[in-house]
Amino acid sequence: MESLNDIKKLLVMAILAGKVMLKNGAETYRVEDTIKRICKSRNIDFAEAFVTPTGIFLSVEYKGEVLTYIKRIKNIKFDLNKIALVNEFSRQFVNSNMSIDKGFEILNDIDNIKTYRKSIRLVFGGFAGSFFTLLFKGSFTDFISAFVISSTVVLVMEYLNKKNFTFFLSNIIGGCIATILSIISVTSGFGTNMDKIIIGSIMTLVPGVAITNAIRDSIGGDFLSGVSRGLEAIIVASAIAFGVGATLKLFFILFGGM
Amino acid sequence: MIYIKEFIYAFLSTLGFSIIFNIPKDSIIKSGLTGALGWVIYLFININYSSKVAGAFLGAIAVGMIGEIMARLFKKPATVYIIPGIVPLVPGAGMYYTMLSIIEKNFIEAANFGSETLFIAASISSGIIISTTLNKTIFSLKKNC
Repeated sequence: MESLNDIKKLLVMAILAGKVMLKNGAETYRVEDTIKRICKSRNIDFAEAFVTPTGIFLSVEYKGEVLTYIKRIKNIKFDLNKIALVNEFSRQFVNSNMSIDKGFEILNDIDNIKTYRKSIRLVFGGFAGSFFTLLFKGSFTDFISAFVISSTVVLVMEYLNKKNFTFFLSNIIGGCIATILSIISVTSGFGTNMDKIIIGSIMTLVPGVAITNAIRDSIGGDFLSGVSRGLEAIIVASAIAFGVGATLKLFFILFGGM
Repeated sequence: MIYIKEFIYAFLSTLGFSIIFNIPKDSIIKSGLTGALGWVIYLFININYSSKVAGAFLGAIAVGMIGEIMARLFKKPATVYIIPGIVPLVPGAGMYYTMLSIIEKNFIEAANFGSETLFIAASISSGIIISTTLNKTIFSLKKNC
């Protein structure tokens, strides 16, 4: 039997595990499930977690005492590696007799784990956009332009995220930059199809995680999260469209089109 | 021939997306294959039956199915495979052409592209819903037996 202090520690650890998952873009039902499993593995009969994309609420009852923790989550970024790692950790924690301190250690390690090197991310960010241009039957020069433009967009988005820009504004800027660079590439005579270059370059901005999670949350019966993530996807999509549209319009007004 | 070419392009493109979303190292190739298969199915339907909506629907079902199976096989969250795989199907082109038609004050065209884009988005979601729920049902049936 654990003391009340241990239970408190366990609670904080479960919240930390949930925080790492949610911050990196896990579905809310997965976070709830993980938190509950961690709590129930250590002699707690009653544990209830309520997770939304912006916060975690956890309440447990132990020997007649009710403990509640609330954690507000801001700045969601996408790092699926960490979700997979925490998932593995929770399975390990539940099935073994791991001490809570050890659990904290592992979770902090996971939280501080490095992402892929910047150079790799830039190159593959370029691949993502440029091969998409090829899928839409762009030419070879379009491929090269899209490669450069998508890596630039990835770089800029990373910088803006670090500066804590709101996602709405940063996506508008991303769309603007992709369009401006595509216009430059085509008017300078290098690229041939402006539409294909732009389509490829904005694909790196597309809210794939939000869309997929919105759907999977809704299937799990979590309609609050489903709706809020769906709205996020719609807002991001309209921000990209707005960025691209406004820049194109400006280009048409200033230079009268191609 | 065109399928092989597009398979390779889609594979590399999905690979790029999986690095952007930072998926675990040992899953990158698998999610690349998931996305490429989804795209080839989309392409097959689009060429033979000339319906982007049906293509995206079946492509999303394929991505969801393969993603769930891989998740069970390799003990990783299914989203690791589904998110990068679904991105190539997302109607970025439709979004762009809708916007372009609005700018050119060509509203009939904009309505055309816009409704197609919306339908593609809806069909992707229903594709994932169907594959995930089917998978859950099959899995729970197996467990009960």
